Amino acid sequence: MTMRPVHIRWALAAYGVAFVCFLYVPMIVLCLLSFNDSPVVGFPIRTLTTAWYRQALADGVLMDALWNSAWLGIASSAIGTALALTAVLGLRRVPRLAAAALPFVVLPIVMPAIVTGVVMLIFFGFTGLRLGLFPTTLIVHVTWVLPFAYLSLYPRLVGLDRSIEEAAMDLGAMPLTVFRRVTFPLIRPAVIATALFAFTLSFDEFVRTFFVVGTQQTLPVHLWILVTEEVAPFLPAVGVIIMLLTLGTAALGFATSSINSRRIARFAMTREIAS
Amino acid sequence: MVILTAISFWTTTAYGVKPIWTLDNYRTIFGSYVYIDTFLRTLRIAGITTVLTLLAAYPMAFALSRLAGSAKTIVLLFVFLPFWTSYVVRSFLWLPMLGRNGLVNFLLVKFGFVSRPVDWLIYNEGAVYVGLVYAYMLFMFLPIYQSLDQQDSKLQEAASDLGATPAQVFRRVIFPLSLPGVFSGCTMVFLFACGAFVTPQILGGASTMMAGNVIGSQFQISNNWGLGASLSVTLMVSVIGCFALSAWRLGLLQLFARDTR
Repeated sequence: MTMRPVHIRWALAAYGVAFVCFLYVPMIVLCLLSFNDSPVVGFPIRTLTTAWYRQALADGVLMDALWNSAWLGIASSAIGTALALTAVLGLRRVPRLAAAALPFVVLPIVMPAIVTGVVMLIFFGFTGLRLGLFPTTLIVHVTWVLPFAYLSLYPRLVGLDRSIEEAAMDLGAMPLTVFRRVTFPLIRPAVIATALFAFTLSFDEFVRTFFVVGTQQTLPVHLWILVTEEVAPFLPAVGVIIMLLTLGTAALGFATSSINSRRIARFAMTREIAS
Repeated sequence: MVILTAISFWTTTAYGVKPIWTLDNYRTIFGSYVYIDTFLRTLRIAGITTVLTLLAAYPMAFALSRLAGSAKTIVLLFVFLPFWTSYVVRSFLWLPMLGRNGLVNFLLVKFGFVSRPVDWLIYNEGAVYVGLVYAYMLFMFLPIYQSLDQQDSKLQEAASDLGATPAQVFRRVIFPLSLPGVFSGCTMVFLFACGAFVTPQILGGASTMMAGNVIGSQFQISNNWGLGASLSVTLMVSVIGCFALSAWRLGLLQLFARDTR
């Protein structure tokens, strides 16, 4: 704004720089340390090496955890998005019911992660299901991504022009045909973005998983064990690998919507309520 | 959830949880200073985290809302990027910053402020604040930014045309209009900080155990499911209570679905 005194603008700019530094310095430090040729995680930086990355990528447990997380992410994203789509299709024409459902959709998001983890652990204990990736962790992940998928799909489907579908029906299309040929193609970008978003949610999930995964490991669980039990020298490298993987998926999801500041804000919000 | 509440009233024996109804678990919680202290500490840490995050996020959100065009998009992207990375990674990022061999100690020693690395940077409440503020910054930043960015600039122009100084415009127009965003951000950060588990476990010490950590250890170390369940119920009731209160004051949509509009 032109009327603001210049020194306030400078102060704000300086603050902006400090803010971005606060966000980025720890990440840059992690990247630096991941190349540091020292058996101890920390400074000073000696010579640079890629040994830790090679060691991390050669680690069987880590690779298993990576695949576990990938499969779990794909499965829970597919199931969660499909279920959410069904729910939204059912509720979009009944706004009153949708409004009544909202608190129940939001509840799992507000619930502290640790409480959900504990509830699920007890629940599985009673049903006698054996703790592991499938089915217990998958169930937890589906219930975790479902509300987000619902919140992300609902506005897109409600915003859909109803007359397009009505036109198709007037022309004699069966409801299933209308969905397959008209509705779904219209919302496909939203569905793809939602599925990718659901994948990153599942891929990142830690606290809930930690309680129900049993003896198997997902990537975040493996990282947690590395951090809390053995501070291995290749820890920063693992951190950087995970960081790049999640960044990549998030960027992919983001790329499906076009670049402008308002979209970024909306995307980041739904993405971020999550962790 | 029903099962959880039921278990919280059951007795823990050496062989597991027995369905014998009892109030003992709650008596343990409310009768012992340890658990009451934990809950009070959790609320205090969550409250201070909320205030710190608000103070850090508001100026940035304000500065960003004053930018325009592609500069705004780029800076916005830079602010969001770190939050797209994994949560566990984000929590342990501060370990190599504050630890004995961390960056801060390295710089302190290098520039001669201290003769050898100091230990008080990490494993205390201060480190937990740093970690929590870092982890939850975006929850505060985004709603405030949106409430600032969506303001009609005509209102501000009208105020200054009528002779208001920039400070008055901010105090009387911009700030009041951004309050919904502030409330929404504070609620989210407070809720998430109440249930924090990872950050205090990694960056905190024994004296900064939060409710989440105590619950976790009941289930995974002491195997006292009954006590763990009743601790969870207590945490759940307080968190949902806080949330319901602000949802009632502001409306669920204001708080949550502002992103989905």
